[in-house]
Amino acid sequence: MTARLSFGLMVAAAGLLGQVSQVKLPPYSRQVLPNGVVVDLMARPGVPLVGFRILVKGGGESDPADRAGLASVTAQLLRKGTSKRSADQFSEELDFLGGTFQAGEGFGISSATTISAEFLKKDFDRGLDLLTDAVLRPTFPEAEVRKLVAQRVDAAKSLKDNPQGAIGSYFQSFFFGASHPYGHPADEITLARIGRQDVVGYHQSTYCGRNMVVIVTGDFDPAVAGPKIAEAFGGAAAGTAFAWPAAAPFRSGGDLLLVDKPDATQTYFYIGQPGVDRKNPDRVTLQLVNTLFGGRFTSMLNEELRVNSGLTYGANCQVQEPRLRGSIVITTFTKTETTAKAIDMALDVLKRLGEKGIGAEQLASVKAYVKGTYPPARLQTADQLAVILGDLELYGLGRDEVDDLFARIDAVTLEQANAAARKYYKPDHLTFVLLGNAAKIREAAGKYAPKVVEVAVSKPGLGGE
Amino acid sequence: MRLAIVLLCLSALGWAQPADVRTETLQNGMKILVQEDHNIPNVAMYFFFRIGSRNEHPGTTGLSHFFEHMMFNGAKKYGPKQFDIQMEKNGGNNNAYTTEDTTVYTDWFPRSALELMMDMEADRIRDLSFDPKMVESERGVVYSERRLSVDNSNFGVLFEQLGAAAFVAHPYHWPVIGWPSDIESWTMDDLKTHFRMGYAPNNCVMVVVGDVSNAEVMGLAKKYLEPIPRQEPPPPLRTKEPEQLGEKRVVVRKRAQLPIELVAYHVPETKNADDAPLDVLETLLVHGQSSRLYNRMVDKEQLALNVNAFRQNALDPGLLIFSLSPRSGVEPARAEKALFEELDRVRNEPVSEQEMRKAKNQLLADHYRQLKTIAGRANLLGVYEVYYGDYRKLFTVEQTLEAVTAADVQRVARQYLVEKNRTIATLIPEAPAAEGSR
Repeated sequence: MTARLSFGLMVAAAGLLGQVSQVKLPPYSRQVLPNGVVVDLMARPGVPLVGFRILVKGGGESDPADRAGLASVTAQLLRKGTSKRSADQFSEELDFLGGTFQAGEGFGISSATTISAEFLKKDFDRGLDLLTDAVLRPTFPEAEVRKLVAQRVDAAKSLKDNPQGAIGSYFQSFFFGASHPYGHPADEITLARIGRQDVVGYHQSTYCGRNMVVIVTGDFDPAVAGPKIAEAFGGAAAGTAFAWPAAAPFRSGGDLLLVDKPDATQTYFYIGQPGVDRKNPDRVTLQLVNTLFGGRFTSMLNEELRVNSGLTYGANCQVQEPRLRGSIVITTFTKTETTAKAIDMALDVLKRLGEKGIGAEQLASVKAYVKGTYPPARLQTADQLAVILGDLELYGLGRDEVDDLFARIDAVTLEQANAAARKYYKPDHLTFVLLGNAAKIREAAGKYAPKVVEVAVSKPGLGGE
Repeated sequence: MRLAIVLLCLSALGWAQPADVRTETLQNGMKILVQEDHNIPNVAMYFFFRIGSRNEHPGTTGLSHFFEHMMFNGAKKYGPKQFDIQMEKNGGNNNAYTTEDTTVYTDWFPRSALELMMDMEADRIRDLSFDPKMVESERGVVYSERRLSVDNSNFGVLFEQLGAAAFVAHPYHWPVIGWPSDIESWTMDDLKTHFRMGYAPNNCVMVVVGDVSNAEVMGLAKKYLEPIPRQEPPPPLRTKEPEQLGEKRVVVRKRAQLPIELVAYHVPETKNADDAPLDVLETLLVHGQSSRLYNRMVDKEQLALNVNAFRQNALDPGLLIFSLSPRSGVEPARAEKALFEELDRVRNEPVSEQEMRKAKNQLLADHYRQLKTIAGRANLLGVYEVYYGDYRKLFTVEQTLEAVTAADVQRVARQYLVEKNRTIATLIPEAPAAEGSR
């Protein structure tokens, strides 16, 4: 299958045209168990499935820098042997129910380990038993730990065969820098250092009552399910809540990392600058501006780099909104020969946003777009609603995040939008990461930054220093 | 006007909410399926055109996919860029995809944009414009897509070589995105001919799922879509793939951290009665960590980083493909041997009732998962109508699956998963020539 757009381009989707004034988060109950576990229950009848989403606070932020990947390795090992079941028994039982169980996979910045599982409505009890057995009572057999770590090391190597995936990790490492909680994504070096004691210790300190959120959404009866959940999770030790690390300074802008992949026929590039955190009051305004700049098909970036010039299949800009301040990053790719042309064009569009700003018609269009695309992307399924509830808990936000969203969008003025464009989209002190055939693009790369760091993709790790 | 209204209940799926599909065929032959769903104030509208790379010829490969892109570049009433500009301004977005057999346009929008979308879709189906400047710029975009998904993707390169080796005569031989030399050389005449042939209303199924009423969809369809004239659809395909006479092997040497291996077997088209037994067979082999291949190859023997099986929907006989990435230090031949032993086992030993039940449970739960969204349902309704020949088969999935016996699974394994019928493509990492670490 060959599609018109890659899904990476379909970012930042959030409701509606004129006559629909507001969307609401469906009702749910929130309870705190005596040991500190937060339980959110939201019944959504429809497809006969029930979904569980468990958050364990910390995630990538709790990884030791020299053992990055520990949180996700621990999560993947939960099912590999429990007090009641061997790894094989767990898998056999889960598959027999047609259930799903995902824990800790995925890349990027995270502030929690997420364990999500889904079962047929009729299998609620058996599903809950499987889930709590894995989350609360794993045994972490030595052989399973070694096996998983070896697999993860190979997976980290194999990621480098996929330039689009690999550049994200190189960027995260280079942009934030080693001293920042977000600056050490897992790689084959840090993963290889992880042993059973690390995993056991991590589980003991973070999988505890004060550090866990349990969210249940889908087709179930909360009156019946509530006491069952309370019983299942109420037995966990209260422990201590994860102490969030303070923000550290980013790498100062102006540097460029060149990742050499000698067989590449196109160059992938990221251009980043500091953005916002999850509670920043400018977020809604910024989301509108960014959607115009690089978050939809007719965005300024995609218009220039794809539609008008045919230089790329897609160009976009993402605003990360993590717990600490994240990045605003332009991402695209073009054939090796047009590397400089495409980077120059992206920088021109960036400069133009700050200088010329946006117009009233554009603002009206993007408001309708962000509202129109919000319900299918965020409020349609039980899983989507569980993601929202998880974010509210993790970042300490209220339901007004959803309930007042459209009103907040409507309230953004043209002046505010243009102020945000000037404030956040600066044309200098940018951090660049280029992945491609260095022999052919090295010279061009030099003109974008006084300091260029070069690394071969075949070199273990992500180290740009 | 001939109306064929069929009312169906989803009770077979055990849904808590009743959901109906209504159908109608316009005078020009376009078939319409509508399912109302008022959960969110949005609509998914899908157009399935029965044209894909199987309708192409050497020299014009990739044209269907190129067309998928050109459909967004302006028509008579809504000029260049207007489709996207108008759609986004009204709160909608879109995508499209092309396969060997179909080109599908997918629109998602708030209910208030329904009439606009019908108008814009009708405009481009009827009166697409062919601006030479747009053709050249879009050629660059498509080439970039090829570099992304094929040339710079080890899996993409290998997959293309596999298909080209497995099919010698049938058009499934060439890639949907097209050979590079063809992408560079399509002419305006090629484009116009292809458009006339593929984009006939009688060659299309439209599916609408979401916050609409059947009456308003049908009313708007009659206003905007029905006046588009009927045309000659693509001519029936003559070439049939001759029976394979022995194993085929392809090797790709490329820089890589890890090898990849793809093993393909010719299997019947989607509509064939063996579709469901093949689903069960694939599931018990690779679905979930308790599956036979995962358990042995990824977990116990640690031969591969992952192992998967997939079969694309196909109007003509296609392929069942196993993919695996051998672990560091594991020769692909060793991983392959384990795969073949497991396929032998399924041919030689009957599958237990417990394992049959497990595979069916997994397939049914996955089926529900695809029905969660209006987009998922619009897609499945279209897929069933086009590939299975009748959207109503979507509502009998459970019965079809339950009817599959262990003997059926063994029979299809014996019939298709045989050495003579397989093609193997292996990507072997090429050592970098004295490349130092910087």
